[in-house]
Amino acid sequence: MTTNTDDLLPVGLSDRLPREAAIATHAMRAVLGAMDSHGYDRVRPPLVEFEKSMAERMDGVQPRKMFRFVDPVSLRTMALRSDMTVQVGRIAATSLAAAPRPLRLCYAGEVATITSDQLDPARQRLQLGAELIGNDTVAAAAEVVALAIESLEAAGATGISVDFTLPDLVDILSAKAMPLDADQIAAVRGELDTKDAGGLKQAGGEAYLPLLYATGDFDTAIEQLAAIDAGGALTSRIDGLRAIAARVSGKARITLDPTERHGFEYQSWFGFTIYAEGVRGALGRGGTYTICGTDGAATGFSLYIDRLIDALEEGEGRRDAVFLPLDHNANAAAKLRAEGWRTVAALTEADDGVALNCSHILEADTVRSY
Amino acid sequence: MTTPLTFAVPKGRILDEALPVMARAGVVPADAFHDKKDRSLSFATTREDMRLIRVRAFDVATFVAHGAAQVGIVGSDVIEEFDYSDLYAPVDLDIGHCHLSVAEPKEGAESIDGASHIRVATKYPNITRRHFEAQGIQAECVKLNGAMELAPSLGLAGRIVDLVSTGATLKQNGLVEKDKIVEITARLIVNRAALKTDPRVAALVEAFRANAAQDAD
Repeated sequence: MTTNTDDLLPVGLSDRLPREAAIATHAMRAVLGAMDSHGYDRVRPPLVEFEKSMAERMDGVQPRKMFRFVDPVSLRTMALRSDMTVQVGRIAATSLAAAPRPLRLCYAGEVATITSDQLDPARQRLQLGAELIGNDTVAAAAEVVALAIESLEAAGATGISVDFTLPDLVDILSAKAMPLDADQIAAVRGELDTKDAGGLKQAGGEAYLPLLYATGDFDTAIEQLAAIDAGGALTSRIDGLRAIAARVSGKARITLDPTERHGFEYQSWFGFTIYAEGVRGALGRGGTYTICGTDGAATGFSLYIDRLIDALEEGEGRRDAVFLPLDHNANAAAKLRAEGWRTVAALTEADDGVALNCSHILEADTVRSY
Repeated sequence: MTTPLTFAVPKGRILDEALPVMARAGVVPADAFHDKKDRSLSFATTREDMRLIRVRAFDVATFVAHGAAQVGIVGSDVIEEFDYSDLYAPVDLDIGHCHLSVAEPKEGAESIDGASHIRVATKYPNITRRHFEAQGIQAECVKLNGAMELAPSLGLAGRIVDLVSTGATLKQNGLVEKDKIVEITARLIVNRAALKTDPRVAALVEAFRANAAQDAD
């Protein structure tokens, strides 16, 4: 037997077949519905735009990981979006610059990267998110965390846990309280990223060691962090974290990991990661950030729900559908659809309702179960 | 929660030193683990909700990074080589001491090097490339899985990058240690998501850390 390799999909790209597609559609609608109900307006930026506008809107965005090519019209480099947050930032800074603040926007769409790694081979992902533009206060952060939890719950996630972090912690501490040489900062950050106690000592960041251990359940970890707090440099941040935690307590398990920096390339004082039971890895993250090219502060989050869709898949059963034989009454069928039934019409005598996954059949204008 | 925890340990060098450290933290494998004739790869422990798997050192990191195992023990050489984003190494176990070094023939490596780059035989192509890049040198790595020491004498590569503990192997093969890249010790590693969502993992980290702190005093 020969296999036609032209039909293979490239690594990291896959089809969503009807069952999964239905779950994905439902989850996406539920998330957008939750955001909409809190006053977030949906925007739909394009799939492709100039590389420069995506690269310069926020710190830490890596154009190297985008699909890029030359625009035959303008002869400038274009890129396929890898993160819609930067596009929403551009919209807020340009077309909606004059709109009253705070501006609440949400979005949903596919994003792609040209490379992926062994841990997460996907090169295309469904991104959903909400951004609260013009504000990065504790109140904004609390609203955004609560909305992220509510959105995921609406999509079907259970056992949600939220991990708080302080993305600019090293910058704050190395300035005064725990001084580091400029050339040490990168190494210390790297070791904090992997929570490598031994490596941290070697990199000259011994003073930072207690921070590694101020992690875990929020109530105890925040006490530990407060105890470490050198010279009060972190007082306002600790108070902020406490206020946010108080606002969402009871809705999710809250943990703290002050040195977490994975995926927080452009966040400023506050960041969070969301996990759900039965789903491997993080489902989303968010925090406060600055939109470059404006003086605009913002708070927001992005959810990547592909793994949630995979986890939900098993729970979903077969949907009801009515088979319409060749000689069925069209008016009766229309009435059924108006009532919310799905109908599957026969095209030939040979069509079989059971084989076509129907649960019911229309006979003499009445619905009968198979 | 009823899902079992999986603890990954490496075959070989580190394991003998690691078992007593694990025992102090309450991780004790069942007897079958010590039975040389037993061919199974997964073993029960005295804890009902935990099993042990014994795999190659590099695979310990891969199992834990993917979340297939939640906890493991592995040398920091492996952690550095993979640089997996989902791996934490919260406790330095202070065992399995050695270092990663560049070694070359006594008479030098120039004869095999190219004009613009050097050739290095190693099990650690990523660390090696980063090490030489930082010095402004392009390193061409030949990935080997063992017996690196043979490479220079057979003309495969001018230098090697490998673990050195006593230096006896190098000496016997006519090589000298040139640069020390990094000190290596064994670390307790955990999966990032597991640490944050499963309190048992955090408790285990706490137990290992408390023991390590005691030893340091």
